[in-house]
Amino acid sequence: MAIANKKTAKILVFSTEKISDPAIDMAGLLKLHYPPTVYTITIPCSSGIKPSWILHAYEKEFDGVFIAADGSDCVFGETCTEKTGNVVSVTHNKMKETDIDPARLRMAAICSVCSESFVKQIRSFNDYLIKTLHA
Amino acid sequence: MKERIGVYICHCGGNISDYVDVEKVRLAVENDEGVALARTTVFACSDSNQNDMVDDIKKYNLDGVIVASCSPKLHLVTFRNVTERGDLNKYTYVHTNIREQASWAHSDDKTGATEKAIRLVKAAIAKSRYAEPLYPNQFEAEKTIAVIGAGISGMKAAASLSDKNTNVILIEKENKVGGHVATWDSLIMSDEKGSELTNRIYTDLQKRKNVTILTNSEVISSKGSIGDFTLKIRKKAQQIGDPIETAEFKVGSVVVATGFDSYTPKEGEFGFSSYQNVITLPDFKHLIDSSSGKQLEYQGKKINNIAYIYCVGSRQSDGENTYCSRYCCTAVIHAANQAKKKFKNIYNFHFNRGIRTYGKQELLYAESLQQGDIYLQSFEDAPPQVYAENGKTKVKIKDILTKDKELEVEADLIVLVTGMVPRSDSSIGTILKLPKGRDKFFNEIHMKLRPVETVIDGITIAGTCQGPKNIMESVNSALSAAAKSYSYISKGILETEPIVANVDTDLCTWCEKCVEACPFDAIIQKEINGKLIAEINNSVCKGCGMCTPVCPPDAINLINYSSEEIMSMIDALA
Amino acid sequence: MNEERKVIKYDALVIGGGIAGGEAALNLANTGYKVLLVEKDRSLGGKMILLSKVFPTLDCSACITTPKVSEIARHQNITIFTESEVSDIVKKSENNFTAQITKKPRYVRVEDCTACQLCEKACPVSVRDEYQFGLIGRKAAFIPFSIANPKAAAIDIENCTLCGACEKVCPTHCIDFTMETEYYELHTKTVILATGFNLFDPLEIPRYGYGQYKNVITSMQMEREIAPTRPFNTILRPGDGKVPDKIAYVLCTGSRDATVGNPICSQICCMYSIKQAQLLMGALPMADVTIYYINIRSFGKGFEEFYQQAKGMGVNFVKGKIGKINEKEDGNLILTYEDINEGVVKEAEHDMVVLSVGAKSNPTNGKMFGQEKLKLDPFNFIAQDDLQGNPSKTNINGVFVAGTASAPMDIPDSILSAGSASSEAISYLIQHQEA
Repeated sequence: MAIANKKTAKILVFSTEKISDPAIDMAGLLKLHYPPTVYTITIPCSSGIKPSWILHAYEKEFDGVFIAADGSDCVFGETCTEKTGNVVSVTHNKMKETDIDPARLRMAAICSVCSESFVKQIRSFNDYLIKTLHA
Repeated sequence: MKERIGVYICHCGGNISDYVDVEKVRLAVENDEGVALARTTVFACSDSNQNDMVDDIKKYNLDGVIVASCSPKLHLVTFRNVTERGDLNKYTYVHTNIREQASWAHSDDKTGATEKAIRLVKAAIAKSRYAEPLYPNQFEAEKTIAVIGAGISGMKAAASLSDKNTNVILIEKENKVGGHVATWDSLIMSDEKGSELTNRIYTDLQKRKNVTILTNSEVISSKGSIGDFTLKIRKKAQQIGDPIETAEFKVGSVVVATGFDSYTPKEGEFGFSSYQNVITLPDFKHLIDSSSGKQLEYQGKKINNIAYIYCVGSRQSDGENTYCSRYCCTAVIHAANQAKKKFKNIYNFHFNRGIRTYGKQELLYAESLQQGDIYLQSFEDAPPQVYAENGKTKVKIKDILTKDKELEVEADLIVLVTGMVPRSDSSIGTILKLPKGRDKFFNEIHMKLRPVETVIDGITIAGTCQGPKNIMESVNSALSAAAKSYSYISKGILETEPIVANVDTDLCTWCEKCVEACPFDAIIQKEINGKLIAEINNSVCKGCGMCTPVCPPDAINLINYSSEEIMSMIDALA
Repeated sequence: MNEERKVIKYDALVIGGGIAGGEAALNLANTGYKVLLVEKDRSLGGKMILLSKVFPTLDCSACITTPKVSEIARHQNITIFTESEVSDIVKKSENNFTAQITKKPRYVRVEDCTACQLCEKACPVSVRDEYQFGLIGRKAAFIPFSIANPKAAAIDIENCTLCGACEKVCPTHCIDFTMETEYYELHTKTVILATGFNLFDPLEIPRYGYGQYKNVITSMQMEREIAPTRPFNTILRPGDGKVPDKIAYVLCTGSRDATVGNPICSQICCMYSIKQAQLLMGALPMADVTIYYINIRSFGKGFEEFYQQAKGMGVNFVKGKIGKINEKEDGNLILTYEDINEGVVKEAEHDMVVLSVGAKSNPTNGKMFGQEKLKLDPFNFIAQDDLQGNPSKTNINGVFVAGTASAPMDIPDSILSAGSASSEAISYLIQHQEA
């Protein structure tokens, strides 16, 4: 497996322009470190992520996908939380069908100043992925 | 597909180049497909580099530009403008962040940071290949502006718009204008009474030909978007049996100035409604204003000792009212000073949680102290208690000055210093789809950059519907909102962002899943060659993308964020 | 005055290039009016551009200011005069003002300067850096600060020895010692005053030991120590370079204090001190931060929550007014204060003391007008003639006030006030259009 002997997991993060990406930026500003194999793609709102994108990432040997969701702060309204949840559950079902550990997809609401929370989440996700995919 | 992309990798004066080997990044991408030139620069945002970029675009006939530098929140707009100065469409510009998300985030791992920066730039190149020119939607704006709420903020906004030769429809739910301020007598730091102030503005408004004032009227629905709203307004029946009239108005922008409610204490909160001499701050102001003679009386009883209990309904440890209501410390001290001036033998006892007479209002506090008012401050975990003993109401407090001793004051009147809460009737927020903050007041986009704008383009917020304010602050906010609303329509032609959803008409089966998902009612039905499909109303679509994952045949993509683009970025990052 | 005055014409004159003046100028320019923005300093951005982060959102201050400033600088309807002063504003009639403007020479041609800093390296003169509030030094040929706009070198002619070293190394030959003061006569239709505030000078309270004890600094100096463009790459006390671990804040330094002639509250110090305390807790996790206060005034949107958050993070709040500060041999400081919660006089030792200095009026406020005088309030702030009804109007019709020139206020209030002033100015211009 490509995972073997990796020190850090390869994680794709979906962040949102107005809410979670500023928090990820601020993590950098505060020099809160996380693995450099964490890559971010920024989109307007977490409820607009297509399950096919996430599945494509696993095909391309990403170990995990992390959705830094807008949560209740979403500028497009409060239905965002529910709709992002739907994206995650649809994707989880598809992952089960193709034998991918559903825990390789994580979501957490990251507010625009939640830098510490983001880094904590990513570190623990990284630890989980290393432990499970390495073993 | 782009074939002549220019890539600029910024040192950021060391902020990036101290951790990321920018030359290595340049070498790693310069021969990528579609890249015509790759340069490093010490400060990409400097005027000199911006000018170099403009020259490069023309000299090398570039068709796409990428800058790898700091966060796009800082300089996306800067570089889009540079692209335009080079006569390229600004949407062909792609930004990637290798500072906050590479050099700084991974300053502990230079190799890792450099490797990440390379992949981020490659992903940007992948995205850039798809970045086609986009053009904002242009249309003519309605030249009338609606102002909702005719309190001090709404009236001032209306007057200011009228001054700018703009037609205004001022809509008020009540049967009279003036809001809270019209019911107040003496105001802080002014010789004018509240009613005089609002009358002065109202009289001036009535003289204006371009202002229509609708009282007893409510907005019951809103359609459309910036430049082209249609508001449906219902006029309440004046008498039973009168017909209910509705009318539609087309406006280009809306100023929301719906104000606040005064907090109503819960039953038993500091003796409220348990003891008849426990009243609220607005009640007290009316009492002072309407009483005459030398002896203050309330319900036939003489009033000499007055206890004021601060922060009732504000600064609560949990629930929604955790905020400070800002105006009440000053308002109550002013009222207490007035009481003392107007009536004999008034003794004021202020049970406070730290006095917040900010700015020049401090002088009122100083005046109050000089007059001998007593200030008692409670510990945060032990609020004062109101109780009755032998037919007398008393307030008991552990004052921080006297530490362990409990003090009690026999009060003839207890004034609960109630703060501002959001309007309990928030229907206007629902109709206009305005977001609220944690405190449930309407939320601005950004407190400092765009303080009177909302996420709904064309709708501004003025006065206390955005959060507690005093009169002066409300008026400043109202005039700002008026100027902003005016700026939307003053040029006559409006532009909206071209980043909207896009339906593949061949794949669409009109299942209406997207219609359910859209929070802005931007998707409408259309028939093409006998086939029903979904169509996006580009001037209403906000580009959130909520409709895209729910489409069963995957027929919808967001421009700039299509599956092709995102997947090619994932390929580049992998 | 016999010197040649060049006559220039603009729709609006905005005095002060801080955040309020900038906002007002942009609003006018975006509505299509030609604006002259006059700034006395070498850069736009006022005090805000020098701040670290801003309360209660903890946005990076420079990240809000620099895009605004560059928008102003690039706007085709805005002309900027830096290092310039306005005098003798005279109202001839409605819509018709004249003013005299003096533009001092920078001795650098801004359009040719690439900010390469070679002149800075070559210059042999070192003086106190006013943009870092004296924490470090700068050269006499220098770029004011890294995010200054215009970002170009300037020659501090007062301290320059005219040795010519900078001229020799300049690759674009943009240093020009023959530049002279320029004089202009401005004709304009309206005026916005956004002259800002001055910080209280703590030398006026000798018992706090500022200027005498090295580890007593002002809040603005601390602001620079924690800003992204900070002078040292860490937080340290100036006395010996030690990283402090027991920091005290003294609120109401020069505010609410009749003994220094300023009985009013400065409105911003509680919140900026709480913000600095939060940032310090983040940067120095082991440090204790104590704020000595009279009342905490967290009254704005999200402010109370921000205060509670600071308490939750472990910032100590002590209700007490500092009587005096004494220095120990090791540079630590002994604060004598009355603990109001306990009713006793106490002493506390800290290794660094930050004086939360207040906002005073700008003394130039009254001096810009000829003939009809501008009305000021008892504290020399610009008087608001109709405080509740038209807060940005002054006693002179057509002259408006924006931001802290009229009273202390925070950034959101300054921006709203600037919005209000520019709104009134636009109305005035439309109402007095020539037929």
